[in-house]
Amino acid sequence: MTATRDTPPACALPGTLPPLADALPGIMTCVHCGFCLQACPTYLALGDENDSPRGRILLMRAVAEGELPVDDPDVRRHLDRCLGCRGCETACPSGVPYGQILESARATLNQRQPPPRIARLVLAVFATHHPLAATLWAARVMRGSRLAALLARLPGRVGFSFAMLAASAPAMPARPYATRGRGTRGTVAALRGCVMEGLFAHVNRATERTLEENDYHVTPAPGQRCCGALHAHAGDLVGARALARANIAAFERAGVDYIAVNASGCGLMMKEYGHLLRNDPAWAARATAIAQRTRDASELLAAAGPVAGAPMALRVVYDAPCHLVHGQRLHHEPLAVLAAVPDLVTTTLPNADQCCGSAGIYNLLQPELAQRVLAPKLDEIAQDGAPLVATGNPGCMMQIGAGLRRGHIAARTVHPVELLDASYARHAHGVPAPRR
Amino acid sequence: MTRDELAIALRAIVGPRGVLSRPAELLPFSADGLPTYHRPPKLAVFPSTREQVIDVIRLFAREQWPFVPRGAGTGLSAGALAGGDAVIVGLNRLTRILSLDPVNRLAVVEPGAVNVSLTRAAGAFGLYYAPDPSSQSACTIGGNVAENSGGPHCLKYGVTVNHVVAVTVLLPDGEVVSLGGAHGETPGYDLLGAFVGSEGCFGIALDVTVRLSPNPPAVRTMLADFTSIDAGARATSAIIASGILPAALEMMDGPTIRAVEASIYAAGYPADAEAVLLIELDGLEAGLDADARRVEQLCLDAGARTVRTARDERERARLWQGRKKAFGAMGRVAPALVVQDAVIPRTRLPDVLRTIHDIAQRWRIQVCNVFHAGDGNLHPNIGYDPRDSDATDRVHHAMREIMRACVDAGGTITGEHGIGLDKLEYMPLIFSPASLDAQCRLRAVFDPDRRANPDKVVPQHACREWTQAPAARAAATVPA
Repeated sequence: MTATRDTPPACALPGTLPPLADALPGIMTCVHCGFCLQACPTYLALGDENDSPRGRILLMRAVAEGELPVDDPDVRRHLDRCLGCRGCETACPSGVPYGQILESARATLNQRQPPPRIARLVLAVFATHHPLAATLWAARVMRGSRLAALLARLPGRVGFSFAMLAASAPAMPARPYATRGRGTRGTVAALRGCVMEGLFAHVNRATERTLEENDYHVTPAPGQRCCGALHAHAGDLVGARALARANIAAFERAGVDYIAVNASGCGLMMKEYGHLLRNDPAWAARATAIAQRTRDASELLAAAGPVAGAPMALRVVYDAPCHLVHGQRLHHEPLAVLAAVPDLVTTTLPNADQCCGSAGIYNLLQPELAQRVLAPKLDEIAQDGAPLVATGNPGCMMQIGAGLRRGHIAARTVHPVELLDASYARHAHGVPAPRR
Repeated sequence: MTRDELAIALRAIVGPRGVLSRPAELLPFSADGLPTYHRPPKLAVFPSTREQVIDVIRLFAREQWPFVPRGAGTGLSAGALAGGDAVIVGLNRLTRILSLDPVNRLAVVEPGAVNVSLTRAAGAFGLYYAPDPSSQSACTIGGNVAENSGGPHCLKYGVTVNHVVAVTVLLPDGEVVSLGGAHGETPGYDLLGAFVGSEGCFGIALDVTVRLSPNPPAVRTMLADFTSIDAGARATSAIIASGILPAALEMMDGPTIRAVEASIYAAGYPADAEAVLLIELDGLEAGLDADARRVEQLCLDAGARTVRTARDERERARLWQGRKKAFGAMGRVAPALVVQDAVIPRTRLPDVLRTIHDIAQRWRIQVCNVFHAGDGNLHPNIGYDPRDSDATDRVHHAMREIMRACVDAGGTITGEHGIGLDKLEYMPLIFSPASLDAQCRLRAVFDPDRRANPDKVVPQHACREWTQAPAARAAATVPA
C-alpha cells in the first residue's frame, strides 16, 4: 500500500470528490481475480459484470480517477443495483473493504445527483423522532386492523409492502415470564432500533428476557436514535454521522459493558461507527470505544452458553442475514442460540449466506431485482418444508415473510431469540428443562 | 455494416439486455484476471440460449466480424480481451448442467457452468469433476476447455483434456460440429484434443461432455514447513523419486505464506517459514498411512521443521483455502499483481528459484512464489503499483528474464494459463518458425479468416501464408 487508508492519496485526480478519493486505496486492493462473481446475488441474477463487485469496483475506480464523470448514468445505475450485502467481502482474498468503498462512492455520486425521492423521504423520516414514531404507530394500527393482510394481495410493489407489514406480526405468541438471571455477566443496554421497536417490539422484549436469563444485567439507554445504517448505505454519510453521534452519547451515558443489537444491519453499522467518524477528531475515539462494545445479541447469548430452556419439538430452517454472516462474520452464534432449545430440529438453507433481497430500503427502490434475488431463497424454503424460518434481522424477516405469504408457502419468519425465549417461557411455566 | 448497425442486429437476437455498447459499461470487460493488459472492447454481446449463440456467430460470419469468446474473465493470460473491432461474446449466462449421468460418470454442461457447481452437483452421487484450477469457485467449464486448465490435483489426475470426452463446437463460420464421443475413442484424428486448449481461436463450445471421477475413499492432507526454499524443493524431488504419486504437491514461499496468513483465508501456515509444502495423498485407505509416514520422513530428511496432517475435513479445507486464495490474497501486498506461468523440470527447482530470486533483487521487485511443485509448474507473482511507471517497467523486464531463465533451464512458457496476449512474445523462444507456421495452418482448418479471438496465441507474423499473401489478408480484413 502506498497510501494509508485515512489520508487521501497525494495523486487525487482532477474531478475527484473527497469521499471516493478517500476510498481509492481500498479500491486498489482489488486484483481483479473474479472470485467475487459467484458470491454476488445481482451478478447471479443478471449475468452482467457491471452488476458484480469486480465490475462495480472498476466503475468506481474510473470515477475516482476521473476517467468517467461523477454523474455517469451507467455508473449510477449499476451502483444503485448493488444490494450492499457484502457477500463479496467474504469471498475476497484481498480483503477489499467493498462496503466502505460503496458508501463513499454513493456519497460522492449523491453530491451531483440526489437519490430518488422515495429514498430521500424514507431517510428523512428515519432521521427524525416524532414523524418516525407516528409512521410506525400508523403501521401497527394498519397491521392490527387486518387491512394489511387484505392489501397484501394487491399486485406489485404496494402489495408487497403490505405483505411485509403483515409478516412483521409475531409468528408465535410471546408468554412473558419472570427472569431468574443473576446479572453476573456484565451490564447490557440494548439498541431499541426504529423498525425493531416499532414493529418487532416482541423481539426486543424477547431479547431482553433471554439476556437476563443468561445472567446479563439489562439496563435502558435513553436518548438513542435510529442507528444510521439506512443513511450510510444510501450514501447519506452526513445523516448517518449525526445519528451515530446521538447514539454514542446515549450509550456512553448508559455506562454499560456491552451494547446488544438484535438487528444485524444495525449491529454492523454500530460496529463500524469508528470508521464512519474516523475523520472527526472530537468523536473518532468515542465512536471506536462504542463500536468495540457492540455485540450481536446472539454473540452475548452464545458466550453464556446459552442456558437451555424447555424442549420444543419443532422444525426450523436457519437463514443467515448478510450483515451478520458477511458483515460481522458471525456464523455459529445464532445456531448456538437455536441449539439451546432442546428437541428443536434446525437445518440451514443450502445458500443461507446468499442475500434475500431486502437490503434496507433496496426492495423499495429496486423491487423487480429484489424479487429475483428473493426467488431462489423461497424455493429453498419450500423445498426444506420447515414451518419456521429463523433469521436475525427485521428487513430479512419481512422480505422473506412477505415472499412466503405471497408465494403461498406455509412458513413464517422468526428471530432466533424468539424461539429461545419461547423455550424459556415454557420452562418458567412448568415444563422442565433437561439437565445440562 | 457499421458497429451501430451490428449492435442493432445483435439486440434483435439477444434482446436489449444482452448487448453492451456504452464505454462505461464495457469497462469491466477490458481486462481478465491479469491486470497488466487493458483493451476496452467496443461492443459486447451476452446470449442466454444455445440458439442465440448460434445466431450471433452466424451473424458475425455473414458480416465477417471478429469476436472473442469470454467466460468468467478469470484467465491469467489476457486471452479474453477484445481489441480493434472484435466483439466480446460472453458465455457466462449459459450456466446449466444439461445432464448428469452417475452410472456412466458423465455430465453435459453449457460453457458458462461454473467449475465448482459441477462438483457440487456431482457430489450427491459421490462424484466430482477433477480439474480444479484455483479459480474454480468462479471460472467456467468453457473457459477451462479453452485454456486446457490445470489445478493442484492435476499432478495425479491430469488436466482438462484428460476429462473432456466430447464437445459440440460452433465453428466461426456458424457450422455446428461434434468432436469426440461420450463413449470411448472416436476413429480418425483427435480433433477434440486439438480443440481443448485452443484458447477460443477454433470456435465456441456449445456444450461440453466431461468425465466425473469418484471421490477418493481416503485422503491425507499434510503440511510440511521449511526454513529454506531449497529444502522444500529437495523434499519435492525426493517424494516424486520415491515412486509415491501425490494427488497434489504444492509449494508456497515465505512472502506468499505471510500474505495468506494476513488474509481472511489464514490457514495456519507457520508465518516464519520460508517454504511450505502442501501434500495430498489419496486412494484406498489401506496403505495410505504407510505412504503418509514415508512422505513425512522424506520431508524431515530434506530439512522440514514440522510435518502435520489435517485431522479432519475442516482443517483440510482450511489448508486448501489458503493455497487456492493465495493469488487474491497478494492484493494485500500491492495494488496490482502479475502472475507468470512457466514449467521447468522438477530437478531444476532449487536453482531456477534462486535465479528468480536474483532477478527480483536486480530489478528491485518483490516476487511471491506459489506453485505446483509436483509438476514443476511455477507461478511467480509480482506485486507492483501500476501508477508507478518505473516500477511497471522493472516488473516487465524481470518477467521477461524469469521466462527466459525457465526456458533456458529446459522448461516451457505456460503450464496452464495459456498464451493469450501475455505470452505471445515468448512463443518464438520455444517454437521454430516452421512450427509456428504449422500451428497457423491448423488454426486455418477451424478458423480460416482468423476472426475467432484474433491476434492471440500464435504471433500473426509467424504465419507464412498470412505474411506472404497480402491479397488474402485484405479479403479477410473486417470493415471498420
